[in-house]
Amino acid sequence: MSQQTLADKVGVTRQTIFAIEKDKYSPSLEVAFKISNVFKTSLEEVFTYD
Amino acid sequence: MSYKEKSLLASLGATLLVFGWYFYQVFSNQMFNIGHEFTFNDIFKPIILFVVLEVIIQSFLAGKNKEDERDALIELTSYRNSYWVLSVGVWFLLIQLLYVGSGGWYDILENSSTAFISHLLLLFFVLAEVTNFITQLYHYRKGI
Repeated sequence: MSQQTLADKVGVTRQTIFAIEKDKYSPSLEVAFKISNVFKTSLEEVFTYD
Repeated sequence: MSYKEKSLLASLGATLLVFGWYFYQVFSNQMFNIGHEFTFNDIFKPIILFVVLEVIIQSFLAGKNKEDERDALIELTSYRNSYWVLSVGVWFLLIQLLYVGSGGWYDILENSSTAFISHLLLLFFVLAEVTNFITQLYHYRKGI
């Protein structure tokens, strides 16, 4: 899935998806849940807390 | 580089160019008495020039400008920083105004005209705006 497709599904910009991937931005809980919903998986499988 | 970064860079460039040139004229006049005497009404010249320049630049860069929570967070952080710069500037001027005419070493605004003090106030507004642009650019580049 491209960054743009994920961004459109979650309702953020492609730059925000890029920043999350590069660990330059921690998304809000709402966006984090939306991302895990897109991948039909749990939050813990997508995000980890360092 | 995203639309936001281009837009911020253009705004920063326009601000530094217009106000940098203007304040250079104002302060060289105040310190070395060269050029023409600046009045309060002169303040509107760079402001109008900046607004016109911004309209031209932003319409040239116009594109899909979708904003999300990250943009909002970066904007809030940068406004907080620029608020501090403006606060320090305004308090500095207010305290200085209390000492005008006292003759002490701390009387920096001694013999300054009202027009010059207004220009100092504008300078702090511009510095706050520059801080805002630089903070936003920093967070877009380095993350938040």
